[in-house]
Amino acid sequence: MTKVEIRGLRKSYGAVEALKGLDLVVESGALVALLGPTGAGKTTTLKCIAGVEKPDSGDILFNGESILGIPAWRRNVAMFFQTYALYPHLSVYHNIAYPLREQKMSKDEIDRVVKSVAKKLRISHLLDRKEPSTLSGGEMQRVALARTLVRNPLVFLLDEPISNLDAKLREEMRTEFKRLHRELKQTIIYATPDYLEAFAVAEKVAVIKDGVILQYDTPINLLKRPKNRFVATFIGSPTINLLRGVVRRGARGWEFSTSGLRLELVSVGGAFSKIYDGLEVELAVRPHDIILGEQQNGNTFKAKVLAAERLGHETIITLSLGEVELKTVSKGMRLYKYGDEVSISIPGDRVILFDVSNGEAIH
Amino acid sequence: MANLQNNRRGRRKILRTVLIYFATIIAVIFFIFPIYWLIATSLKTRAQAFSTPPLFVWEPTVRNFIDIFLKRQTEIEAITGQELELATGAETFFYNSFIVTFSSIAIATVIGVLAAYSFSRYQPHGTNTLMFFILSTRMLPAIVVAIPIYFFYRSLGLYNTHIGLVLLYTMFNLPFAVWMMKSFFDEVPRDIEQAALVDGSNPIKVFYKIALPQVLVGLGATIGFLIINVWNEFLFALLLTERATRTVPVMIAGTRGEVGINWGLIAAIETLYILPALVLIFVLQRFLLRGMTFGTVRGAK
Repeated sequence: MTKVEIRGLRKSYGAVEALKGLDLVVESGALVALLGPTGAGKTTTLKCIAGVEKPDSGDILFNGESILGIPAWRRNVAMFFQTYALYPHLSVYHNIAYPLREQKMSKDEIDRVVKSVAKKLRISHLLDRKEPSTLSGGEMQRVALARTLVRNPLVFLLDEPISNLDAKLREEMRTEFKRLHRELKQTIIYATPDYLEAFAVAEKVAVIKDGVILQYDTPINLLKRPKNRFVATFIGSPTINLLRGVVRRGARGWEFSTSGLRLELVSVGGAFSKIYDGLEVELAVRPHDIILGEQQNGNTFKAKVLAAERLGHETIITLSLGEVELKTVSKGMRLYKYGDEVSISIPGDRVILFDVSNGEAIH
Repeated sequence: MANLQNNRRGRRKILRTVLIYFATIIAVIFFIFPIYWLIATSLKTRAQAFSTPPLFVWEPTVRNFIDIFLKRQTEIEAITGQELELATGAETFFYNSFIVTFSSIAIATVIGVLAAYSFSRYQPHGTNTLMFFILSTRMLPAIVVAIPIYFFYRSLGLYNTHIGLVLLYTMFNLPFAVWMMKSFFDEVPRDIEQAALVDGSNPIKVFYKIALPQVLVGLGATIGFLIINVWNEFLFALLLTERATRTVPVMIAGTRGEVGINWGLIAAIETLYILPALVLIFVLQRFLLRGMTFGTVRGAK
């Protein structure tokens, strides 16, 4: 059980700043996801923790003690590499056994551990394969995962461990990670670009972009209370609706207005504090929060159907309200035609406002 | 009509194939013939070797191959009155060639591989400058440094010693070894080595357990090229050796042009001389081709 603390981590590659003062605290035994787009700094962060990259400044602590002075081979951290990084000249068995042999574990013990992990990951039949390069992508990924999981390290670092598997296996592996985490009771840092994966596996998710953590929170808070525009748009599918407009003081409180559309706002936690008349904002509302049909709260509009994508268990409907386009989601298979007229209502307490000048959320 | 055209096209195709094969055979004969003639001559007596028209059918003899090692044939040089030992006692020269080739390549390979790995992985300050500097030592024609090195060796007591030749060849081969091996190491994905570090191997173990096995093909190609370089080297061997340390190419050249050349003996030595190179090229063929098409061009990053 290890508590991992990262303080003001900076790392540049030449002119490119990969990490710009990253702070993160992972509680002992927690499974935390590092969620961000490609090039956000996920891999660099993990490599700094593993010790194979040296940060320019900042500190990394395990249980309150800095580990920057300990070389990678003595840090006792296990890492899954996004590129798998299998040893091409070793058989599958010896790839998985490699870290154990470096620990001078006895032959019998190694054999037992390798076989049990291989069985768990369903690669027992591959153990005799001489050249890992002849394996399929999914098989390589599982072999690399096995090599990570045979160890009993202080921290597990997993860099996109299931991104290349097919959908079915990916689903199984997500559950597997949860179970694994329960059994191992180890600290796990899990990097992924897929918010669904992050939400499914992790208790807490750190959204990372351009080398800084934008928000570190539970999945539900990331979804409901994003701190800024990027977090709001990166998480959720279909993507959150964004409307640009101005805040005005209306007859019954604050109103949001844009061309041909006026919305009454309801503050969630009391009054809006940072709002003033004429403030330029972006209003965000999740497709799932838009209700099809008339509602009593007033924010009801007539809209025209532009397109409807039927996905089986739900239907994504693209609507036009004058000059504004919105997406909404409806349960089940719905039949809509282009040009159909529908009523929608937008609950005033479900919208999020972002300051146009800096993209920060206004609460 | 169409049939006729097809027919004509078919015939033209056959003609083309025949021509290509014919040209290939001519080219092969052109290149193989000297080697054939060399081996043939080594199996002829002195009289047969000189016969006009040349003999294409004769009873082969291995006498020459025995003579070059066992016979002591000396002649008195007409003008100087010096005693010359001709084309015999070849074992000394083969021994010299082997010792010099083996030692210099062993040293150049070990130093070259280690240097290449550190340039590729650790990129010490001034890597590019150093790499260029290393390369620049090969830009100067060897003949330019021949005379200084000759005097240098004389005064240092390295003249006419095995160690002298070994040092010289090591120096000439190192740039080649470093450049070639660096490009092979550059190809090894860094993640593999980082994974090994995380898995508990220290950098020295990472080098020989992980990095080195990835470049074995490149290492084979590099060693192959180096062997050919040294085995064939003539200029410095001629300048810096006397009879005791003379290598085979110098000995062959020295024999020719003296009185009463026995071409059969020379051909026998030459046959034995090209044999290791031929075997090596066949064995390393795959590696050498890979070495030529892959690697060296990628250069310093």
